[in-house]
Amino acid sequence: MNQFTFTGRLKTSLIIMMVVGLVSMGLTWIWDDEIHTRFWSNYLHNASFFTGISLMAGFFIAVCITAWAGWYAVFKRVWESFSMFLIVGLVLMAIMGLGVYFGWHHIYHWADPVAAVEDKIISGKTGFLNKNWYLFGTIVIVGTWYFLSSRIRSLSIAEDNDDNDTDFAKHRRMRLYAAIFLPIAGFTSAAMVWQWIMSVDSHWYSTLFAWYCGASWFVSMICLTIMSLLYLRAKGYLQQVSVEHMHDLGKFLFAFSIFWTYLWFSQYMLIWYGNVGEETIYYRTRFDHFKPLFYANLVINFLFPFFVLMRNDTKRKFGSLGLVAGVVFIGHWLDYFLMIKPGVMHTAHEHLSHGHDAGGHHDMSFQLGVQMPGFLEIGTMIGFLGLFLFVFFSALSKASLVAKNDPYIHESLHHHV
Amino acid sequence: MAHTNRNVIYGLYDDEEIMLTAIKEANAQHLEIMDVYTPFPVHGLDPLLGLSESRLHIAGFIYGLLGTLTAFLGMTWIFTKDWPVVFGGKPHWSVPAFIPITFELTVLFAAIGMTFTFYIVCGLGPGVTNEVLDDRITDDKFCIAFDESEVDSAKAKSFLSSTGASEINKKILS
Repeated sequence: MNQFTFTGRLKTSLIIMMVVGLVSMGLTWIWDDEIHTRFWSNYLHNASFFTGISLMAGFFIAVCITAWAGWYAVFKRVWESFSMFLIVGLVLMAIMGLGVYFGWHHIYHWADPVAAVEDKIISGKTGFLNKNWYLFGTIVIVGTWYFLSSRIRSLSIAEDNDDNDTDFAKHRRMRLYAAIFLPIAGFTSAAMVWQWIMSVDSHWYSTLFAWYCGASWFVSMICLTIMSLLYLRAKGYLQQVSVEHMHDLGKFLFAFSIFWTYLWFSQYMLIWYGNVGEETIYYRTRFDHFKPLFYANLVINFLFPFFVLMRNDTKRKFGSLGLVAGVVFIGHWLDYFLMIKPGVMHTAHEHLSHGHDAGGHHDMSFQLGVQMPGFLEIGTMIGFLGLFLFVFFSALSKASLVAKNDPYIHESLHHHV
Repeated sequence: MAHTNRNVIYGLYDDEEIMLTAIKEANAQHLEIMDVYTPFPVHGLDPLLGLSESRLHIAGFIYGLLGTLTAFLGMTWIFTKDWPVVFGGKPHWSVPAFIPITFELTVLFAAIGMTFTFYIVCGLGPGVTNEVLDDRITDDKFCIAFDESEVDSAKAKSFLSSTGASEINKKILS
Protein backbone atom coordinates (compact mmCIF):
# COMPACT_ATOMS: atom_id res chain seq x y z
CA MET A 1 0.00 0.00 0.00
CA ASN A 2 1.90 2.98 -1.27
CA GLN A 3 -1.02 5.35 -1.14
CA PHE A 4 -2.53 6.53 2.12
CA THR A 5 -6.32 6.72 2.10
CA PHE A 6 -7.78 9.23 4.52
CA THR A 7 -10.74 7.12 5.60
CA GLY A 8 -14.04 8.61 6.64
CA ARG A 9 -13.75 6.99 10.04
CA LEU A 10 -10.43 8.67 10.75
CA LYS A 11 -11.81 11.94 9.44
CA THR A 12 -14.80 11.66 11.78
CA SER A 13 -12.68 10.98 14.84
CA LEU A 14 -10.40 13.92 14.04
CA ILE A 15 -13.41 16.17 13.52
CA ILE A 16 -14.76 15.00 16.90
CA MET A 17 -11.41 15.99 18.42
CA MET A 18 -11.71 19.42 16.83
CA VAL A 19 -15.28 19.80 18.09
CA VAL A 20 -14.08 18.91 21.59
CA GLY A 21 -11.47 21.63 21.16
CA LEU A 22 -13.99 24.20 19.96
CA VAL A 23 -16.40 23.39 22.80
CA SER A 24 -13.56 23.67 25.32
CA MET A 25 -12.48 26.99 23.87
CA GLY A 26 -16.06 28.24 23.90
CA LEU A 27 -16.51 27.25 27.53
CA THR A 28 -13.17 28.84 28.38
CA TRP A 29 -14.35 32.05 26.75
CA ILE A 30 -17.62 32.03 28.73
CA TRP A 31 -16.14 31.18 32.14
CA ASP A 32 -13.22 33.55 31.71
CA ASP A 33 -12.37 36.89 33.29
CA GLU A 34 -13.42 40.04 31.44
CA ILE A 35 -10.30 40.16 29.24
CA HIS A 36 -10.42 36.42 28.39
CA THR A 37 -6.94 35.70 29.72
CA ARG A 38 -7.40 31.96 29.98
CA PHE A 39 -8.82 31.65 26.48
CA TRP A 40 -6.07 33.65 24.79
CA SER A 41 -3.23 32.08 26.74
CA ASN A 42 -4.48 28.60 25.83
CA TYR A 43 -4.79 29.73 22.23
CA LEU A 44 -1.25 31.10 22.14
CA HIS A 45 0.10 28.03 23.94
CA ASN A 46 -1.32 25.53 21.43
CA ALA A 47 -0.96 27.64 18.30
CA SER A 48 2.73 28.33 18.91
CA PHE A 49 3.38 24.74 20.01
CA PHE A 50 1.95 23.11 16.88
CA THR A 51 3.30 25.76 14.51
CA GLY A 52 6.75 25.12 15.96
CA ILE A 53 6.39 21.38 15.50
CA SER A 54 5.60 21.81 11.82
CA LEU A 55 8.52 24.21 11.41
CA MET A 56 10.87 21.67 12.97
CA ALA A 57 9.66 18.97 10.56
CA GLY A 58 10.37 21.17 7.54
CA PHE A 59 13.65 22.32 9.05
CA PHE A 60 14.81 18.78 9.76
CA ILE A 61 14.10 17.69 6.18
CA ALA A 62 16.28 20.61 5.07
CA VAL A 63 18.98 19.47 7.49
CA CYS A 64 18.86 15.90 6.15
CA ILE A 65 18.94 17.03 2.50
CA THR A 66 21.89 19.35 3.13
CA ALA A 67 23.76 16.67 5.08
CA TRP A 68 23.19 14.15 2.25
CA ALA A 69 21.48 11.89 4.75
CA GLY A 70 19.61 8.89 3.44
CA TRP A 71 18.12 6.99 6.35
CA TYR A 72 14.94 9.09 6.57
CA ALA A 73 14.02 8.90 2.87
CA VAL A 74 11.51 6.07 3.31
CA PHE A 75 9.25 8.09 5.61
CA LYS A 76 10.09 11.63 4.49
CA ARG A 77 6.48 12.15 3.37
CA VAL A 78 5.52 12.17 7.06
CA TRP A 79 7.79 15.13 7.78
CA GLU A 80 6.77 16.84 4.55
CA SER A 81 3.14 16.51 5.58
CA PHE A 82 3.88 17.81 9.09
CA SER A 83 5.45 20.90 7.55
CA MET A 84 2.29 21.55 5.52
CA PHE A 85 0.61 22.58 8.77
CA LEU A 86 2.69 25.77 8.59
CA ILE A 87 0.02 27.45 6.45
CA VAL A 88 -2.53 26.79 9.21
CA GLY A 89 0.01 27.94 11.76
CA LEU A 90 0.40 31.14 9.77
CA VAL A 91 -3.34 31.80 10.08
CA LEU A 92 -3.39 30.87 13.78
CA MET A 93 -0.49 33.12 14.66
CA ALA A 94 -1.77 35.91 12.41
CA ILE A 95 -4.98 35.86 14.47
CA MET A 96 -2.78 36.32 17.52
CA GLY A 97 -1.07 39.21 15.71
CA LEU A 98 -4.39 40.79 14.76
CA GLY A 99 -5.37 40.48 18.40
CA VAL A 100 -2.31 42.51 19.35
CA TYR A 101 -3.04 44.96 16.57
CA PHE A 102 -6.66 45.58 17.45
CA GLY A 103 -6.36 45.00 21.19
CA TRP A 104 -8.54 41.86 21.32
CA HIS A 105 -6.42 40.42 24.12
CA HIS A 106 -4.00 41.51 26.84
CA ILE A 107 -1.54 38.65 26.72
CA TYR A 108 1.47 40.90 26.18
CA HIS A 109 2.37 43.62 28.62
CA TRP A 110 4.28 45.50 25.91
CA ALA A 111 1.11 45.77 23.82
CA ASP A 112 -0.31 48.13 26.44
CA PRO A 113 0.22 51.63 24.92
CA VAL A 114 0.67 53.22 28.37
CA ALA A 115 3.32 50.72 29.41
CA ALA A 116 5.15 51.17 26.12
CA VAL A 117 5.69 54.82 27.01
CA GLU A 118 5.91 54.91 30.79
CA ASP A 119 7.63 51.59 31.51
CA LYS A 120 11.37 52.18 30.97
CA ILE A 121 12.29 48.55 30.19
CA ILE A 122 9.39 48.03 27.80
CA SER A 123 9.87 51.36 26.04
CA GLY A 124 13.46 50.31 25.36
CA LYS A 125 12.19 47.20 23.59
CA THR A 126 9.52 48.83 21.44
CA GLY A 127 11.76 48.67 18.36
CA PHE A 128 11.09 44.95 18.29
CA LEU A 129 8.06 44.48 20.50
CA ASN A 130 5.41 46.53 18.74
CA LYS A 131 2.09 45.64 17.14
CA ASN A 132 3.21 46.38 13.59
CA TRP A 133 6.23 44.13 13.66
CA TYR A 134 4.39 41.40 15.55
CA LEU A 135 1.79 41.04 12.80
CA PHE A 136 4.09 41.79 9.88
CA GLY A 137 6.97 39.65 11.15
CA THR A 138 4.72 36.70 11.92
CA ILE A 139 3.12 36.73 8.47
CA VAL A 140 6.35 37.26 6.52
CA ILE A 141 8.48 34.82 8.49
CA VAL A 142 5.97 31.98 8.84
CA GLY A 143 5.06 32.61 5.21
CA THR A 144 8.72 32.15 4.24
CA TRP A 145 8.91 28.92 6.22
CA TYR A 146 5.81 27.66 4.48
CA PHE A 147 7.06 28.74 1.06
CA LEU A 148 10.40 26.94 1.42
CA SER A 149 8.81 23.82 2.94
CA SER A 150 6.21 23.62 0.20
CA ARG A 151 8.85 24.12 -2.51
CA ILE A 152 10.81 21.19 -1.10
CA ARG A 153 7.66 19.10 -0.90
CA SER A 154 6.44 19.87 -4.41
CA LEU A 155 9.91 19.15 -5.85
CA SER A 156 9.94 15.89 -3.91
CA ILE A 157 6.55 14.90 -5.38
CA ALA A 158 7.59 16.02 -8.87
CA GLU A 159 10.73 13.91 -8.51
CA ASP A 160 8.55 10.91 -7.74
CA ASN A 161 6.44 11.39 -10.87
CA ASP A 162 9.42 11.80 -13.18
CA ASP A 163 11.15 8.49 -13.84
CA ASN A 164 13.53 9.99 -16.40
CA ASP A 165 15.26 12.45 -14.09
CA THR A 166 18.56 10.60 -14.26
CA ASP A 167 20.86 13.48 -13.30
CA PHE A 168 18.74 14.29 -10.21
CA ALA A 169 18.05 17.86 -11.35
CA LYS A 170 15.08 18.08 -9.00
CA HIS A 171 17.04 16.83 -6.05
CA ARG A 172 19.77 19.38 -6.76
CA ARG A 173 17.12 22.09 -6.73
CA MET A 174 15.75 20.77 -3.45
CA ARG A 175 19.26 20.95 -2.06
CA LEU A 176 19.39 24.64 -2.96
CA TYR A 177 16.08 25.38 -1.21
CA ALA A 178 17.18 23.31 1.79
CA ALA A 179 20.45 25.22 2.08
CA ILE A 180 18.55 28.53 1.93
CA PHE A 181 16.08 27.28 4.52
CA LEU A 182 18.72 26.41 7.15
CA PRO A 183 20.01 29.90 8.09
CA ILE A 184 16.57 31.43 7.62
CA ALA A 185 14.92 28.93 9.95
CA GLY A 186 17.80 29.18 12.40
CA PHE A 187 17.66 32.94 12.81
CA THR A 188 13.98 33.66 12.30
CA SER A 189 12.73 30.89 14.59
CA ALA A 190 14.63 32.66 17.38
CA ALA A 191 12.92 35.95 16.54
CA MET A 192 9.51 34.28 16.50
CA VAL A 193 10.16 32.59 19.85
CA TRP A 194 11.12 35.96 21.35
CA GLN A 195 8.04 37.74 20.17
CA TRP A 196 5.48 34.95 20.53
CA ILE A 197 6.59 33.33 23.76
CA MET A 198 9.41 35.08 25.59
CA SER A 199 7.72 38.49 25.37
CA VAL A 200 4.83 37.36 27.62
CA ASP A 201 7.39 38.14 30.34
CA SER A 202 8.05 41.55 28.86
CA HIS A 203 10.59 42.67 31.44
CA TRP A 204 12.56 39.50 31.38
CA TYR A 205 14.84 37.97 28.78
CA SER A 206 17.17 35.05 28.38
CA THR A 207 19.61 34.70 25.50
CA LEU A 208 19.25 30.96 25.16
CA PHE A 209 15.47 30.92 25.43
CA ALA A 210 15.07 30.48 21.66
CA TRP A 211 17.27 27.40 21.68
CA TYR A 212 15.38 26.04 24.64
CA CYS A 213 12.02 26.49 22.89
CA GLY A 214 13.44 25.11 19.66
CA ALA A 215 14.70 21.99 21.41
CA SER A 216 11.27 21.54 22.96
CA TRP A 217 9.64 21.83 19.54
CA PHE A 218 12.13 19.42 18.04
CA VAL A 219 11.62 16.73 20.68
CA SER A 220 7.84 17.07 20.31
CA MET A 221 8.20 16.71 16.55
CA ILE A 222 10.23 13.51 16.96
CA CYS A 223 7.62 12.15 19.42
CA LEU A 224 4.82 12.88 16.98
CA THR A 225 6.82 11.27 14.15
CA ILE A 226 7.31 8.09 16.18
CA MET A 227 3.62 7.93 17.10
CA SER A 228 2.48 8.63 13.52
CA LEU A 229 4.79 5.97 12.10
CA LEU A 230 3.59 3.42 14.65
CA TYR A 231 -0.01 4.29 13.75
CA LEU A 232 0.65 4.05 10.01
CA ARG A 233 2.47 0.75 10.44
CA ALA A 234 -0.35 -0.65 12.53
CA LYS A 235 -2.77 0.31 9.74
CA GLY A 236 -0.66 -1.61 7.24
CA TYR A 237 1.12 1.31 5.63
CA LEU A 238 4.87 1.98 5.44
CA GLN A 239 5.91 -1.59 6.23
CA GLN A 240 9.32 -0.60 4.82
CA VAL A 241 9.89 1.47 7.96
CA SER A 242 11.79 -1.05 10.00
CA VAL A 243 12.96 -1.32 13.57
CA GLU A 244 16.21 0.28 12.37
CA HIS A 245 14.49 3.54 11.45
CA MET A 246 12.56 3.54 14.71
CA HIS A 247 15.82 2.92 16.58
CA ASP A 248 17.33 6.02 14.99
CA LEU A 249 14.27 8.10 15.85
CA GLY A 250 14.54 6.76 19.40
CA LYS A 251 18.15 7.93 19.49
CA PHE A 252 17.04 11.39 18.39
CA LEU A 253 14.39 11.41 21.09
CA PHE A 254 16.95 10.35 23.68
CA ALA A 255 19.69 12.72 22.55
CA PHE A 256 17.49 15.78 22.14
CA SER A 257 15.80 15.18 25.48
CA ILE A 258 19.27 15.51 26.98
CA PHE A 259 19.95 18.57 24.82
CA TRP A 260 16.70 20.14 26.05
CA THR A 261 17.74 19.45 29.65
CA TYR A 262 21.14 20.95 29.02
CA LEU A 263 19.51 24.19 27.87
CA TRP A 264 16.90 24.12 30.63
CA PHE A 265 19.61 23.72 33.23
CA SER A 266 22.02 26.23 31.67
CA GLN A 267 19.33 28.89 31.72
CA TYR A 268 18.40 28.05 35.29
CA MET A 269 21.94 27.86 36.62
CA LEU A 270 23.14 31.12 35.10
CA ILE A 271 20.16 33.00 36.50
CA TRP A 272 20.54 31.32 39.89
CA TYR A 273 24.25 32.06 39.96
CA GLY A 274 23.94 35.67 38.76
CA ASN A 275 21.20 36.31 41.33
CA VAL A 276 19.93 39.45 39.62
CA GLY A 277 16.41 40.29 40.77
CA GLU A 278 15.13 41.15 37.29
CA GLU A 279 16.12 37.68 36.13
CA THR A 280 15.36 35.53 39.17
CA ILE A 281 11.73 36.74 39.23
CA TYR A 282 11.08 34.34 36.36
CA TYR A 283 11.95 31.35 38.55
CA ARG A 284 10.58 32.92 41.73
CA THR A 285 7.09 32.95 40.15
CA ARG A 286 7.45 29.35 39.05
CA PHE A 287 8.71 28.21 42.44
CA ASP A 288 5.99 30.00 44.36
CA HIS A 289 2.96 29.18 42.25
CA PHE A 290 3.90 26.41 39.80
CA LYS A 291 6.05 24.12 41.91
CA PRO A 292 4.51 20.70 41.02
CA LEU A 293 4.67 21.46 37.31
CA PHE A 294 8.16 22.91 37.56
CA TYR A 295 9.59 19.64 38.91
CA ALA A 296 7.28 17.43 36.86
CA ASN A 297 8.72 19.13 33.78
CA LEU A 298 12.18 17.85 34.61
CA VAL A 299 11.02 14.36 35.58
CA ILE A 300 8.85 13.82 32.49
CA ASN A 301 11.15 15.41 29.93
CA PHE A 302 14.51 14.33 31.26
CA LEU A 303 14.62 11.55 33.86
CA PHE A 304 11.89 9.45 32.22
CA PRO A 305 13.23 9.36 28.63
CA PHE A 306 16.82 9.28 29.87
CA PHE A 307 16.48 6.15 31.97
CA VAL A 308 13.94 4.36 29.79
CA LEU A 309 15.62 4.95 26.44
CA MET A 310 19.16 4.47 27.70
CA ARG A 311 19.14 0.79 26.81
CA ASN A 312 19.45 -0.43 23.26
CA ASP A 313 16.40 -2.69 23.34
CA THR A 314 13.91 -0.12 24.66
CA LYS A 315 14.63 1.99 21.58
CA ARG A 316 14.01 -1.03 19.37
CA LYS A 317 10.76 -2.19 20.95
CA PHE A 318 7.75 -0.34 19.63
CA GLY A 319 5.85 -0.53 22.92
CA SER A 320 8.45 1.21 25.06
CA LEU A 321 9.39 3.66 22.31
CA GLY A 322 5.77 4.61 21.69
CA LEU A 323 5.08 5.01 25.40
CA VAL A 324 8.05 7.35 25.86
CA ALA A 325 7.07 9.32 22.75
CA GLY A 326 3.54 9.82 24.09
CA VAL A 327 4.59 10.83 27.57
CA VAL A 328 7.36 13.18 26.42
CA PHE A 329 5.01 14.80 23.90
CA ILE A 330 2.65 15.69 26.75
CA GLY A 331 5.67 16.72 28.80
CA HIS A 332 6.76 19.31 26.27
CA TRP A 333 3.23 20.58 25.93
CA LEU A 334 3.38 21.14 29.72
CA ASP A 335 6.74 22.84 29.25
CA TYR A 336 5.07 25.38 26.97
CA PHE A 337 2.28 25.79 29.48
CA LEU A 338 4.90 26.68 32.07
CA MET A 339 6.59 29.15 29.71
CA ILE A 340 3.42 31.03 28.87
CA LYS A 341 0.92 30.94 31.75
CA PRO A 342 2.86 32.67 34.57
CA GLY A 343 3.78 35.73 32.50
CA VAL A 344 0.30 36.00 31.02
CA MET A 345 -1.37 35.78 34.42
CA HIS A 346 0.93 38.46 35.78
CA THR A 347 0.06 40.84 32.93
CA ALA A 348 -3.64 40.09 33.34
CA HIS A 349 -3.56 40.84 37.07
CA GLU A 350 -1.84 44.14 36.45
CA HIS A 351 -4.31 45.02 33.73
CA LEU A 352 -7.35 44.13 35.80
CA SER A 353 -6.10 46.04 38.82
CA HIS A 354 -5.16 49.00 36.56
CA GLY A 355 -1.90 49.26 38.39
CA HIS A 356 1.68 49.05 37.25
CA ASP A 357 3.14 47.53 40.39
CA ALA A 358 6.16 45.38 39.75
CA GLY A 359 4.38 42.19 40.77
CA GLY A 360 4.13 39.82 43.66
CA HIS A 361 1.23 41.61 45.31
CA HIS A 362 -1.64 39.97 43.53
CA ASP A 363 -3.57 36.98 44.75
CA MET A 364 -2.28 33.77 43.24
CA SER A 365 -4.30 31.15 45.09
CA PHE A 366 -4.61 27.86 43.30
CA GLN A 367 -6.78 27.85 40.21
CA LEU A 368 -7.23 25.09 37.69
CA GLY A 369 -6.16 26.37 34.29
CA VAL A 370 -3.63 28.73 35.81
CA GLN A 371 -1.24 26.72 37.94
CA MET A 372 -2.18 23.38 36.39
CA PRO A 373 -3.87 22.52 33.10
CA GLY A 374 -7.56 21.87 33.69
CA PHE A 375 -10.05 19.96 31.56
CA LEU A 376 -10.53 22.96 29.30
CA GLU A 377 -6.79 23.15 28.60
CA ILE A 378 -6.72 19.45 27.80
CA GLY A 379 -9.79 19.86 25.59
CA THR A 380 -8.18 22.77 23.75
CA MET A 381 -5.05 20.70 23.22
CA ILE A 382 -7.12 17.80 21.84
CA GLY A 383 -8.77 20.23 19.44
CA PHE A 384 -5.48 21.62 18.15
CA LEU A 385 -4.01 18.12 17.91
CA GLY A 386 -7.03 17.05 15.88
CA LEU A 387 -6.54 20.00 13.55
CA PHE A 388 -2.84 19.25 13.19
CA LEU A 389 -3.46 15.58 12.44
CA PHE A 390 -6.25 16.43 10.01
CA VAL A 391 -3.91 18.64 7.99
CA PHE A 392 -1.17 16.02 8.31
CA PHE A 393 -3.28 13.09 7.09
CA SER A 394 -4.85 15.03 4.25
CA ALA A 395 -1.39 16.13 3.06
CA LEU A 396 -0.18 12.55 3.42
CA SER A 397 -3.02 11.21 1.29
CA LYS A 398 -2.12 13.51 -1.61
CA ALA A 399 1.15 11.78 -2.54
CA SER A 400 2.67 8.31 -2.57
CA LEU A 401 3.89 7.21 0.85
CA VAL A 402 7.34 6.04 -0.22
CA ALA A 403 9.22 8.38 -2.52
CA LYS A 404 10.47 5.83 -5.01
CA ASN A 405 12.69 8.22 -7.00
CA ASP A 406 14.50 9.78 -4.10
CA PRO A 407 18.24 9.33 -4.74
CA TYR A 408 18.69 7.93 -1.26
CA ILE A 409 15.67 5.62 -1.18
CA HIS A 410 17.69 2.42 -1.46
CA GLU A 411 20.06 3.48 1.27
CA SER A 412 17.00 4.07 3.42
CA LEU A 413 15.32 0.78 2.51
CA HIS A 414 18.46 -1.12 3.52
CA HIS A 415 19.12 1.03 6.53
CA HIS A 416 20.99 -0.78 9.25
CA VAL A 417 22.24 0.68 12.49
CA MET B 1 47.94 -17.69 29.45
CA ALA B 2 49.85 -20.53 27.87
CA HIS B 3 48.83 -21.24 24.32
CA THR B 4 49.67 -24.30 22.39
CA ASN B 5 50.61 -23.63 18.82
CA ARG B 6 47.71 -23.28 16.46
CA ASN B 7 47.83 -24.07 12.81
CA VAL B 8 45.69 -21.46 11.17
CA ILE B 9 44.41 -21.50 7.64
CA TYR B 10 42.98 -18.20 6.50
CA GLY B 11 41.58 -16.51 3.44
CA LEU B 12 41.78 -12.83 2.55
CA TYR B 13 38.81 -11.15 0.88
CA ASP B 14 38.87 -7.84 -0.94
CA ASP B 15 35.38 -6.74 0.04
CA GLU B 16 33.29 -7.05 3.17
CA GLU B 17 30.16 -8.01 1.25
CA ILE B 18 31.93 -11.02 -0.30
CA MET B 19 33.18 -11.95 3.15
CA LEU B 20 29.71 -11.67 4.72
CA THR B 21 28.28 -13.94 2.02
CA ALA B 22 31.14 -16.39 2.66
CA ILE B 23 30.37 -16.45 6.39
CA LYS B 24 26.73 -17.26 5.64
CA GLU B 25 27.97 -20.10 3.45
CA ALA B 26 30.28 -21.34 6.21
CA ASN B 27 27.40 -21.35 8.65
CA ALA B 28 25.34 -23.34 6.17
CA GLN B 29 28.18 -25.88 5.81
CA HIS B 30 28.68 -25.98 9.60
CA LEU B 31 32.34 -25.01 9.27
CA GLU B 32 33.72 -23.83 12.60
CA ILE B 33 35.19 -20.35 12.02
CA MET B 34 38.04 -19.56 14.41
CA ASP B 35 37.82 -15.78 13.99
CA VAL B 36 37.20 -13.00 11.51
CA TYR B 37 39.52 -10.00 11.16
CA THR B 38 38.44 -6.76 9.52
CA PRO B 39 40.06 -3.31 9.28
CA PHE B 40 36.85 -1.64 10.50
CA PRO B 41 33.60 -2.68 12.21
CA VAL B 42 31.42 -4.43 9.64
CA HIS B 43 27.65 -4.08 9.95
CA GLY B 44 25.84 -7.34 10.55
CA LEU B 45 28.97 -9.35 11.35
CA ASP B 46 28.24 -10.01 15.01
CA PRO B 47 24.93 -11.83 14.56
CA LEU B 48 26.41 -13.95 11.74
CA LEU B 49 29.23 -15.09 14.00
CA GLY B 50 26.74 -15.72 16.80
CA LEU B 51 28.47 -13.27 19.14
CA SER B 52 26.40 -12.18 22.09
CA GLU B 53 25.86 -8.49 22.83
CA SER B 54 28.78 -6.84 24.60
CA ARG B 55 28.26 -6.24 28.29
CA LEU B 56 30.72 -3.35 28.28
CA HIS B 57 27.92 -0.77 28.44
CA ILE B 58 26.57 -2.31 31.65
CA ALA B 59 30.01 -1.81 33.16
CA GLY B 60 29.95 1.71 31.73
CA PHE B 61 26.67 2.47 33.49
CA ILE B 62 28.08 1.28 36.81
CA TYR B 63 31.24 3.37 36.37
CA GLY B 64 29.13 6.38 35.44
CA LEU B 65 26.95 5.94 38.50
CA LEU B 66 30.08 5.66 40.61
CA GLY B 67 31.32 8.94 39.12
CA THR B 68 27.99 10.63 39.85
CA LEU B 69 28.05 9.51 43.47
CA THR B 70 31.74 10.34 43.94
CA ALA B 71 31.29 13.86 42.65
CA PHE B 72 28.00 14.64 44.33
CA LEU B 73 28.66 13.08 47.71
CA GLY B 74 32.27 14.29 47.63
CA MET B 75 31.26 17.90 47.07
CA THR B 76 28.47 17.58 49.62
CA TRP B 77 30.97 16.45 52.24
CA ILE B 78 33.62 19.00 51.29
CA PHE B 79 31.32 22.02 51.16
CA THR B 80 29.12 21.24 54.15
CA LYS B 81 31.35 19.36 56.61
CA ASP B 82 35.02 19.45 55.71
CA TRP B 83 35.64 23.03 54.57
CA PRO B 84 32.47 25.16 54.35
CA VAL B 85 33.10 28.38 52.45
CA VAL B 86 30.52 30.98 51.48
CA PHE B 87 30.55 31.69 47.75
CA GLY B 88 28.57 34.74 46.67
CA GLY B 89 26.10 34.40 49.54
CA LYS B 90 24.94 31.00 48.31
CA PRO B 91 24.10 28.19 50.75
CA HIS B 92 26.82 25.64 51.46
CA TRP B 93 24.86 22.86 49.86
CA SER B 94 24.29 24.49 46.42
CA VAL B 95 23.00 21.71 44.21
CA PRO B 96 22.90 23.69 40.92
CA ALA B 97 26.60 24.51 41.26
CA PHE B 98 27.39 20.82 41.77
CA ILE B 99 25.66 19.64 38.60
CA PRO B 100 28.37 20.52 36.02
CA ILE B 101 31.12 18.81 38.04
CA THR B 102 28.86 15.82 38.71
CA PHE B 103 28.26 15.55 34.99
CA GLU B 104 31.97 15.79 34.17
CA LEU B 105 32.99 13.15 36.66
CA THR B 106 30.23 10.84 35.44
CA VAL B 107 31.62 11.06 31.92
CA LEU B 108 35.22 10.75 33.09
CA PHE B 109 34.60 7.69 35.27
CA ALA B 110 32.56 5.98 32.56
CA ALA B 111 35.14 6.69 29.85
CA ILE B 112 38.23 5.68 31.82
CA GLY B 113 36.51 2.71 33.44
CA MET B 114 35.26 1.36 30.12
CA THR B 115 38.66 1.86 28.47
CA PHE B 116 40.48 -0.08 31.16
CA THR B 117 37.83 -2.80 31.28
CA PHE B 118 38.11 -3.15 27.53
CA TYR B 119 41.91 -3.45 27.70
CA ILE B 120 41.77 -6.04 30.47
CA VAL B 121 39.06 -8.12 28.78
CA CYS B 122 40.99 -8.09 25.48
CA GLY B 123 44.31 -8.82 27.17
CA LEU B 124 45.82 -5.61 25.89
CA GLY B 125 48.27 -3.38 27.69
CA PRO B 126 51.82 -2.08 27.67
CA GLY B 127 54.37 -4.68 26.61
CA VAL B 128 51.84 -7.06 25.13
CA THR B 129 52.63 -8.27 21.64
CA ASN B 130 50.00 -9.86 19.51
CA GLU B 131 50.82 -11.92 16.53
CA VAL B 132 48.97 -10.65 13.51
CA LEU B 133 47.93 -13.10 10.82
CA ASP B 134 48.58 -10.66 8.03
CA ASP B 135 49.42 -6.97 8.22
CA ARG B 136 46.94 -6.13 5.50
CA ILE B 137 43.95 -6.99 7.71
CA THR B 138 44.62 -3.67 9.41
CA ASP B 139 44.44 -1.93 6.05
CA ASP B 140 42.12 -3.19 3.33
CA LYS B 141 41.70 -6.98 3.60
CA PHE B 142 38.96 -8.97 5.27
CA CYS B 143 40.02 -12.26 6.75
CA ILE B 144 38.25 -15.48 7.71
CA ALA B 145 40.47 -17.81 9.74
CA PHE B 146 40.05 -21.52 10.56
CA ASP B 147 41.88 -23.56 13.15
CA GLU B 148 43.14 -26.78 11.54
CA SER B 149 42.45 -28.72 14.72
CA GLU B 150 38.78 -27.80 14.41
CA VAL B 151 38.13 -28.17 10.71
CA ASP B 152 39.39 -30.38 7.92
CA SER B 153 42.03 -28.29 6.13
CA ALA B 154 41.17 -29.50 2.64
CA LYS B 155 37.55 -28.62 3.25
CA ALA B 156 38.49 -25.19 4.60
CA LYS B 157 40.72 -24.54 1.61
CA SER B 158 38.09 -25.48 -0.93
CA PHE B 159 35.54 -23.38 0.98
CA LEU B 160 37.81 -20.31 0.89
CA SER B 161 38.62 -20.61 -2.79
CA SER B 162 35.02 -21.28 -3.77
CA THR B 163 33.69 -18.23 -1.86
CA GLY B 164 35.99 -15.74 -3.56
CA ALA B 165 38.99 -15.35 -1.27
CA SER B 166 41.73 -13.57 -3.17
CA GLU B 167 44.49 -15.28 -1.20
CA ILE B 168 44.69 -18.39 0.98
CA ASN B 169 47.57 -18.77 3.44
CA LYS B 170 48.68 -20.83 6.38
CA LYS B 171 50.37 -19.63 9.51
CA ILE B 172 51.33 -21.06 12.87
CA LEU B 173 50.26 -18.90 15.79
CA SER B 174 52.19 -19.51 18.99
